[in-house]
Amino acid sequence: MTSYVAQEQKSQDMQRVHVVQGQYHVTGDPNVMLTTLLGSCVSACMRDPITRVGGMNHFLLPDGNNASDDDKLRYGVHAMELLVNAILQIGGQRDRLEVSLFGGANVTTNFTNLGGANADFAENFVRREGLAFKGGSLRGEKPRRVQFWPALGRVRQQLLIDDPQTQVDLRIDITKLPQGNAVEFF
Amino acid sequence: MPAARSISVMIVDDQMTMRSLVRSGLQQVGFTDIREAPDGKDALDTLMTRPAQLVISDFNMPNLDGIGLLKSIRSTPAMSKTAFIMLTGRADGQLLRTAKEFGVNNYVMKPFTVATLKERIEAVFGKLS
Repeated sequence: MTSYVAQEQKSQDMQRVHVVQGQYHVTGDPNVMLTTLLGSCVSACMRDPITRVGGMNHFLLPDGNNASDDDKLRYGVHAMELLVNAILQIGGQRDRLEVSLFGGANVTTNFTNLGGANADFAENFVRREGLAFKGGSLRGEKPRRVQFWPALGRVRQQLLIDDPQTQVDLRIDITKLPQGNAVEFF
Repeated sequence: MPAARSISVMIVDDQMTMRSLVRSGLQQVGFTDIREAPDGKDALDTLMTRPAQLVISDFNMPNLDGIGLLKSIRSTPAMSKTAFIMLTGRADGQLLRTAKEFGVNNYVMKPFTVATLKERIEAVFGKLS
């Protein structure tokens, strides 16, 4: 395990793992739920549906004049590769990996749409690497909370509303939505 | 001072995006004879028919990983002198010791810059023109 790996937090039978920026975590344990909070950052939720192992990362491409397009690409590829390799090490198979992408919101008031750049990178990476894209939720203007059970193939997203007085729980359990109308990530 | 364009290179990585990045970096340094393979087995098959002077290989790959490829190259007389630079995503001392034991010439930690890639190649071949 490297310092990139998120720490598990146990509560009774369920283990909740917070994956913060720059980290990733993989598991095959059905009692482990990975969770993260995303603004401009992007998380890839990735799993092998046959061996039921998978994981989540959380990355933000470098911004500013000092970061060239190649620098950004190298950083993003590295973040994705760490997750892919960690899943392969616990029994995943590359050609079976399924990916959902979340985040990349334009949460700042300046003209730099960093979230959009992160989302573009993530989508391009999945397409170029030939990974099975299972959807998700990218861009927009609201931060998100994402919960992911890799072994179960279940993803849940909550959009976070700014004003606590008007906060609405937008949690959707995608496993319970009717087919045809569902955002079925896995 | 060897010319970069006179050195044939094989890039081995299961991620197409990473192969493209390495290729782009090599081209910026002046390399022109560049081939790619998605895993160690594919690379070995290709190198058996046409060896390269430099192999830049990832460690984690399906079929045959970077260490397996390195061992195979070192045990094949026609390729035993091939320069081998390992790409690694983590500072794993054990992995690097194993790679050194099997004759790796250098390594590059990801994410890396073109300057670092050039520096590691020059550490093996000498200053490039």
